[in-house]
Amino acid sequence: MLEHVLNGLYYGSILFMIASGMTIIFGVLGILNLAHGELYALGAFSAFSIIGFVAGQVAAPTGPVTAIVFGVVVLAGSLATAAVLLPVGGALEAAFIRPIYDRDEVYQLLLTYGLLLVLTDVMKFVWGPSPVDLGVFGGINEIPTTELVGIDYPSYNVFVILIGIAVFAWLVWFFDRTKTGRIVRATAINREMSTAIGISTDRMFTLVFAIGAFFAGFGGAMVSIGPGSASLGMGLDWLVLSFVVIVIGGLGSLNGAFVGSMLVGVSSRVVTPYYPQLELAVPFLLMVLVLLLKPEGLYGAWGEIQ
Amino acid sequence: MTTEPLAGTESNGIDRRTLLKTVGGSALAVALAGCTELLEGEQESAADADVPDEPIESGLQTFTEGAPSVLGIQAEYGAETAVRRINENGGIAGREMNLDVVEEGGAYLTNYQQFVDEGKDVTFGPISSSGHAEMVPEIEAQEVINVSTDGTVTTLYEEDFPDVTYSFRFQNHDVMEALAAVNQAVEVLGADSIDTYAGINPNYAFGQDEMNLFSQGIEKLTGAEQVYSGFPDLGTSDMSTHITEINGEAPDVVFSSCWGGDATLLLEQGHANDMFDNTELLVGTVLYGSANDMEEDLVDGPIYSGSRNFYWGEPSTDRWSPAADLVDEVQSEYGVVPTAHFMSGYGAVTAWATAAEKAVSLLGRWPEQEELAMVLENHGFFTPAGYHTMGSDHQGYSNAHFGELTWSDEHDAAALQDVNVFAAKNVSPPPGEISSDWIGSW
Repeated sequence: MLEHVLNGLYYGSILFMIASGMTIIFGVLGILNLAHGELYALGAFSAFSIIGFVAGQVAAPTGPVTAIVFGVVVLAGSLATAAVLLPVGGALEAAFIRPIYDRDEVYQLLLTYGLLLVLTDVMKFVWGPSPVDLGVFGGINEIPTTELVGIDYPSYNVFVILIGIAVFAWLVWFFDRTKTGRIVRATAINREMSTAIGISTDRMFTLVFAIGAFFAGFGGAMVSIGPGSASLGMGLDWLVLSFVVIVIGGLGSLNGAFVGSMLVGVSSRVVTPYYPQLELAVPFLLMVLVLLLKPEGLYGAWGEIQ
Repeated sequence: MTTEPLAGTESNGIDRRTLLKTVGGSALAVALAGCTELLEGEQESAADADVPDEPIESGLQTFTEGAPSVLGIQAEYGAETAVRRINENGGIAGREMNLDVVEEGGAYLTNYQQFVDEGKDVTFGPISSSGHAEMVPEIEAQEVINVSTDGTVTTLYEEDFPDVTYSFRFQNHDVMEALAAVNQAVEVLGADSIDTYAGINPNYAFGQDEMNLFSQGIEKLTGAEQVYSGFPDLGTSDMSTHITEINGEAPDVVFSSCWGGDATLLLEQGHANDMFDNTELLVGTVLYGSANDMEEDLVDGPIYSGSRNFYWGEPSTDRWSPAADLVDEVQSEYGVVPTAHFMSGYGAVTAWATAAEKAVSLLGRWPEQEELAMVLENHGFFTPAGYHTMGSDHQGYSNAHFGELTWSDEHDAAALQDVNVFAAKNVSPPPGEISSDWIGSW
């Protein structure tokens, strides 16, 4: 059971990295970004190039010490990968999203769906139509972690769980404790008032969209480092699950996104061995249950970043 | 079980006349078998036939992008290679062949209808099992021959559409690779040593069909008990739950029909979670389909894979020059090692092309669709994979290959060693019989 829970936390952590970006963007900008899954996929493909390059500069792990060096390099590469998504996200917001803030929601859906298609074609043009595999997963697992305390569990999964918690902690700190974060929250609550006291909502919105893209890209890099491959269309499943997570947690709620991700991850992993046919259905059953009992989501923060 | 190459498949010792006779007397058939060097000076038997001048128009639908493209692009390369060879050898009864390739996506019916509207003489594909099942009624309605490259669910022609005219399938159906996996497991471990088995298979018709057939076969041969069966979503990003269960149950044999990215994911997470320390054997029917995407460390362990009706190294390329030439051509043209899915495309085109040429020889003119369909039934032909027949049930029958995963430094890709070749009659019921009934009769 412990291993199933750990598997769930691992899966939930990746889901949180992707869903957090989506919930931030919706919470502040009010935009339901259908292209968010493609930003995640772009992170996965970019990781193939960037981490592939930096990992190639160090020797393959031959023992714990070299494995740690290798792991640090790969982690640095994943941050660099996510950083690439900052200007991409900022540019997308400034060029395409900004002109439709005052329009009907259907324009958001059409535009972001169009961006989804364009981003897919861009990735196809740059990386080709076939899946690409980074091939560093085995090296990461050479780093000793759980075996030090007598448990045999992949080190990569442990790192993903720890990174998921770190991302959550950073986001809470950023929005609660920093001046910029508080300004973002204030802007989300009342745009007119924020503008009246001299806040540039344009800059805030660009920043928020870029942060959302950053975490989508970071999630993509984590998946690319892991056992999976980067492939066209990989964002769709995660996009759907991200919707599920933020509906469970409450749109715009960071706490909700974190709890929702972990609930989806752990419940699906714990239920699957006993009822394998429910593996795909568990997240949606959970969502239905939450909508029936608490329609505003567990943390009930519709439209505000909390 | 047949572990020797089929008689007559070695080029050494066979003269031109014997070879032409063996493959059906057609120069095109020889070319598609990969033996063009034997053709110099031969007269084309259909040269005087009354055939149109315009080229043959054909269409292939396959996965050209995304995770399933691991298989789909190989099928595309195979079909293109066969068409290229056809045209380099004077076409089919003098007619050149054009091939349009479209993305399969979820548009199976639309693609087929579009091909028909465009006046295609023949269509090939799809890869998808559910797509193929959707297409069969439309193929029969439109009356334009389709030779499927994949979509291998056993029940398709056995139970769902037992009486078809225009719909054919070249690649071995699921029962052949599932039972080849059973035989391979029994050979490696011995029937008495297999008490338990488990499965991880993709959650759709193909995966369920394969697991069902494997279960029937291994329970019949060994009396083993199933201790776990998981069906992760096709294209999943995480199989850790299923692998944890496998580790907990420690079955003697793990069976998997995971393919493409799912196959590499299974191997990656299997190694990371020490799955291969907790089972005696993994038999995967189509793991080798991802040969070009595997890293060297993934092939370690007791891992055996099927390779459907074609493995490029069996018979050995130093004894079987058509396969050696094909590997060279594919590596030169596309930079990959050809897998069984390459042969899915190559063989589908070859089946139709050699049947068309045979029909022209018989009729003295270009055949109608119905006539060509009649010739395709029970049609036998060679490819670099060996000899194939298209059964009266419209299912292709070829040898099934299974071997231990290893690494080829020469090709910088995964390879198979100690390859077993299972004759079709040993892993598939005769046409007209239901596989589960046949297995039950053992």
